[in-house]
Amino acid sequence: MASTVEVKVVEEGGISKKGLPQGTIGVLGALVIGISCCAPAYTLTAAVGPAASVVGVQTPSIFLMGFIPMFLVALGYRALNDAMPDSGTSFTWGTRAFGPWIGWMGGWGLIAATVLVLSNLAGIAVEFLFLALSIMFDNPEIATLSDNVFINIGVCITFMAMATFISYRGMTSTKIFQYLTVGFQMAILVWFIVAMFVGANDPANKEAIPVDISWFNPLEVNSFGAFSAGIAVSIFVYWGWDTVLTMNEETKESKGRFSTASKAATILILLLVVLYVTVATAAVSFAGVGDGPTGLGNPEIAENVFAALAHPVMGGGAIFLAFAVLLSSVASIQSTAISPARTLLAMAHYKALPPKLALIHPRFKSPYYALITSSVVASVFYAIMRFISEDVLWDTITSLGMMVCFYYGVTALASVAYFRKTAFASWKDAVSKIILPGIGGIILFIIFFQTTIDSMSPDFGSGSNIGGIGLVFILGTTVILTGVVLMIVQSRIRPDFFRSKILTRGYDIPESEKASAQQVEYLKD
Amino acid sequence: MRYVVGYTADDRGRNAIDLAVAFARGQHNTLTLVMVLPPAEPFQAVYPPQNDYNEILVQQAQKWLKEAVRMVPDGISVTAEIRFSHSLAEGLMAAAKELGAALIVIGTGRGGIFNRSTVGKVAQGLLHSSTVPVAIAPQGYTSVHEISRITFAVGNRGGGQAIRDVGITSAASRGIPLRVISLLALDTDDQAAQDRAAKQANEVRDNALQQLPDGAIVTAEVAQGDTIEDAVESLEWQDDEIVVVGSSRLAERNKLFLGSTSNKMLRALPVPMVVVPRDYVLPDDLNPFVADDDAESAENTKEGGK
Repeated sequence: MASTVEVKVVEEGGISKKGLPQGTIGVLGALVIGISCCAPAYTLTAAVGPAASVVGVQTPSIFLMGFIPMFLVALGYRALNDAMPDSGTSFTWGTRAFGPWIGWMGGWGLIAATVLVLSNLAGIAVEFLFLALSIMFDNPEIATLSDNVFINIGVCITFMAMATFISYRGMTSTKIFQYLTVGFQMAILVWFIVAMFVGANDPANKEAIPVDISWFNPLEVNSFGAFSAGIAVSIFVYWGWDTVLTMNEETKESKGRFSTASKAATILILLLVVLYVTVATAAVSFAGVGDGPTGLGNPEIAENVFAALAHPVMGGGAIFLAFAVLLSSVASIQSTAISPARTLLAMAHYKALPPKLALIHPRFKSPYYALITSSVVASVFYAIMRFISEDVLWDTITSLGMMVCFYYGVTALASVAYFRKTAFASWKDAVSKIILPGIGGIILFIIFFQTTIDSMSPDFGSGSNIGGIGLVFILGTTVILTGVVLMIVQSRIRPDFFRSKILTRGYDIPESEKASAQQVEYLKD
Repeated sequence: MRYVVGYTADDRGRNAIDLAVAFARGQHNTLTLVMVLPPAEPFQAVYPPQNDYNEILVQQAQKWLKEAVRMVPDGISVTAEIRFSHSLAEGLMAAAKELGAALIVIGTGRGGIFNRSTVGKVAQGLLHSSTVPVAIAPQGYTSVHEISRITFAVGNRGGGQAIRDVGITSAASRGIPLRVISLLALDTDDQAAQDRAAKQANEVRDNALQQLPDGAIVTAEVAQGDTIEDAVESLEWQDDEIVVVGSSRLAERNKLFLGSTSNKMLRALPVPMVVVPRDYVLPDDLNPFVADDDAESAENTKEGGK
């Protein structure tokens, strides 16, 4: 009968049966994608302040250190991706390595991190929108409009609604758009760095401090707590780099010993480390860490330092910096809006969340239900935060850093657990799949717990607190506990996933499991 | 003979299947249901990457297509495939070209004023560049019968040989009545224009009668209204008839381009419309209406079709 008709998947025009373009991206393209995922103009303006507020002049060193756990985890990430290329991300990997419960929480951590970053991105975009407008119309009043809670929330939600609509319609950024955005962003950042160094040597600049070698020494950081909080923030600036490592099918075949993806990842990490450390050095040198109007120690500007530094550093050129950050954050809102939606969709697909979240739009082929859900949650979250905290962007970045440590930690340890039986066959595998990711995972969990404990203090980070308990702590624990509660509820309503009937643990060939997941679906029909 | 059906798992997709089925009833055709998915766009830079997302998308499309296959009544051969393209129109055209399809069948979206069919982006894309005829099901189209009549519109500037050929051969092969219409958008009673239109329609009718076997029914009508839409609505339409129109003279050779009159007709028509490319030469074996290929149909049935 009808059901015997096979659905043929037509592979053509360099697109695989999974819909992936094959062998089309070279090193430069991979670099552009990687930079776009990191969105340096945006991450730097959001992270430099919170980092400088905890580690002061050692901010460059903390950006230098931040890349180490990131790198270690990325090794595990790559190993898992190679072993299960079609198998998604933290949620599926965590489930295979540790079973459904930890896997579910890994997925939850990822969703929470992306929802947090989405609201933060939109917040930064709002501030830079008004900054750009105020420079264009030469009216400083306009820039202060973003301080009005209602205007701020209104514009922020508009940004998110636009990004959601674009993704709902299944529209995507194109190659040329990314090349232009990334190129513009990098050019302006270089200009900004040069202008900061020039300004630092201007005798009229009283806040300036000459660059000192101790800035690059993490051991000079006062306490482990400060170091840990700094790392949690600097993890966030590198968040995105690992995307390049996992691009295998899409990249062109490499002639040399190393794959295009490995080459691009190596170049990118060097580029990012140099960029971040240089920006941090230049910013500390230009503005100092005092609490003057542009001082990095000034809590008023910490959550968005480029906005405060733009004019003093670049004068009339500030408009370009404003546009660069605005463009970087708006482009990221669009791609970030899709991310939690896809994870929700995957989790619902494997029956770990309500089936509605797995709905795909018949015409636009977008995960529309999950998309609208995550955008509404991000908007509501931002609105609430805007009301209860004056430093919403600062607090969200710190909490985000914690969430990234959490789900990255789960992913890194998943690599250890997943390969524990096989990787010891060779030294190379043992080091790259077990030892290094294991160290990375442990570092991240230490930072996660240390920061969680420290954040209970009302003085932590921005100093936002409710009833004497740090807001970041409340935020972090609420997110995690909400996840735990939802997970327990889901396990009662949809026990199949939690009884490992859909994704099983262990070192199995993913193919067979995908088939079984599909069968369950058809049986239910 | 094959019809490519642009399927989406919604009303417009179901309308398209219904129309394709109406074409295929009593004939020996194969329907190929095509679902077009967007390929992954690495430059979209979605982070963190969700590597099983596309896999899930393909699984969903397969499920949708299997449901769609079940909608096709027994006795009609059907296959299904998934293609990747950024544009649905391009995906369908690629499928039609590769499969040597005689016709692309699509549905139209909801909306528009007064619930008229709107020409969606997909239809526009196809109507601007397809080299095979495109059949468009109106919104809410559900047919359970074979095609009962073929109507084609004659323009007042000559041409349109392609649509006459399609119309006449189709009516002949199916043994169904043919209707020639001439549409006039006039706000006053311009007797001369009406006479001209009537004369032209009658000429085409007489010509068709000569070509068709004895006993064939061919009628000619002139419809007048303030606008083309009004003129279309003033005519009587059977549930199971279809309209054939030609593409604009602005179109490139062998390609479709919907002229303003056809565009207006599409919005007002309660019945399906087939748009034939300009200078389309009816290949003997490719008349989208008569398509009669037992061998291929049998082969497809063997492959797993119905």
